[in-house]
Amino acid sequence: MTHTEHPFVEHVEVLSNVRVASGVGLLSLTAPRCAATIRPGQFVHLRIGTQTSNLLRRPFSVHRAYGQTIEILYQVLGAGTLQLAEKEPGDTSMDLVGPLGTGWRVPQNTSHALLVAGGLGAAPLGMLAEQLAEAGIATVVAQGAPTAERLVARVLFDRVARRTEVATDDGSAGERGFVTAVTARLLAAEKFDVVYTCGPEVMERAVIAQCQERGVACQVSLERLMACGIGACLSCVVTTKSGLKRACVDGPVFDAEEVLFDATEIPPKH
Amino acid sequence: MTVDLTVNLGSLPLKNPVMTASGTFASGREFSDFVDLTRLGAIVTKGVSMTPWPGNASPRIAETASGMLNSIGLQNPGVEAFIEGDLAWLSTNASSTPVIVNVSGHSAADYARVIERLETQDSVAAYELNISCPNVDTGGMAFGTSSTAAAEVVRECRSATNRPLIIKLSPNVTDIVEIARTVEAEGADAVSLINTLLGMAIDANTRRPMLSRVVGGLSGPAIKPVALRMVWQVACALDIPIIGMGGIMTAEDAIEFLIAGATCVAVGTGNFIDPTTTMKVIDGIDEWCRSHGVEQVTDLVGSLEVSW
Repeated sequence: MTHTEHPFVEHVEVLSNVRVASGVGLLSLTAPRCAATIRPGQFVHLRIGTQTSNLLRRPFSVHRAYGQTIEILYQVLGAGTLQLAEKEPGDTSMDLVGPLGTGWRVPQNTSHALLVAGGLGAAPLGMLAEQLAEAGIATVVAQGAPTAERLVARVLFDRVARRTEVATDDGSAGERGFVTAVTARLLAAEKFDVVYTCGPEVMERAVIAQCQERGVACQVSLERLMACGIGACLSCVVTTKSGLKRACVDGPVFDAEEVLFDATEIPPKH
Repeated sequence: MTVDLTVNLGSLPLKNPVMTASGTFASGREFSDFVDLTRLGAIVTKGVSMTPWPGNASPRIAETASGMLNSIGLQNPGVEAFIEGDLAWLSTNASSTPVIVNVSGHSAADYARVIERLETQDSVAAYELNISCPNVDTGGMAFGTSSTAAAEVVRECRSATNRPLIIKLSPNVTDIVEIARTVEAEGADAVSLINTLLGMAIDANTRRPMLSRVVGGLSGPAIKPVALRMVWQVACALDIPIIGMGGIMTAEDAIEFLIAGATCVAVGTGNFIDPTTTMKVIDGIDEWCRSHGVEQVTDLVGSLEVSW
């Protein structure tokens, strides 16, 4: 999964755009070239707006890819995603730049993997879960969300993972509390070769700390504000042990031990 | 009908007037999947300083109405790493396109030192002095908003090179013509305008600035009217050529800058929106000239009709 296809610009057509939870949409796009080349953890940079509204592209990890279709899970957080939520089937106004970035890596001899998703962090883990299952790697998913309704992609995880354990803030599904309580228990009870995590940065940091305590390899997908998405503008820098890296090309997936989290980072609003 | 797109930027002949705006194109390598770099009039690199600069804290960008703010802060690995990395790559992969190195410094001597280091590099065609970056604490815009300071930087650099020297001007001044006249008198071969306009954005709900540095540089379609006005004013007053930029997204935008008096144009924020923008602008200028019976693109330069 380390080989990267050269990115391109591709016009897309909206196949469907449905609400899957409060404030969360699932967008299916016809994008044959991207669907054929994108790898788990990579993203597309989607032009939603025009010169006078939502000028900049918005980066979205691809949740699933099959046939000529890619799926994007998105949360309505700002003007761009609000405009995205209004796109209807048959819309051909958008194009994407992709596939972009460095996705998840599967270390050699991996037989057991743990996926840790918090909220919309489930988005970049969908395709990974499917491909790990296809490769015969035993996969456990720990998923957290505010409510049962917000456990997006739970059906996918239930289908392909060996086991799924969930936690919700209100206890409406799984155990009540944070997913990090689930991961603490899982990491104590089982041996994993690698942990993949994406979610709110505070959750990611807690999961990374748990992995480091037990010496388990961990990869993390980070979210940053981006302008170009292809490594030129230096908007999306991530502080690492080897200096500033670009989330758009060196990431968004990083080896967790490399990342030096910056407390001043304000979460992006798209 | 064949359109002659060639222009002369002072002593530097270009195959067409379309260049990249510094800081929006890295050194071209990142765009090579989308753009035939050899078709560009010139590549203007990201700002290069003598020593590595870390840039500013995040968030470094914010979207605004028809534009964006940035406060990247000229993050770059320094001139040595630039020579070994990007410049070497360019001379192998885009040798037919002139490379204009954008130079940054904290003092007049700093700028000259970068130039002195690059003088031995055959693949450098010209220098563009960034005396207009609003995102660094010392240097940058401070040089471009005072005629005395601007003159000092240009003088130091002029004595360091015979290569074409382009000065990138700040719009954050009361009278851009005064600064432009000053740098022309000090031996500048061309001026680039405009750099970004100093601005800010606030999140009312959190009462926090959208940029960690609070203020940043505004770019994109929002600033085009200001840029056109300044290009026109400077073109009326100066003899040296102008590289016009500020919100160029389409060929028609570029044509407007030529009409206002720019000899060349640069695509900046447009590269972020569509990485192929430069190619579309080149093709579009050619088509526009054909459909308007313009045989030489230079015929457009300064062709503004101000009488009604």
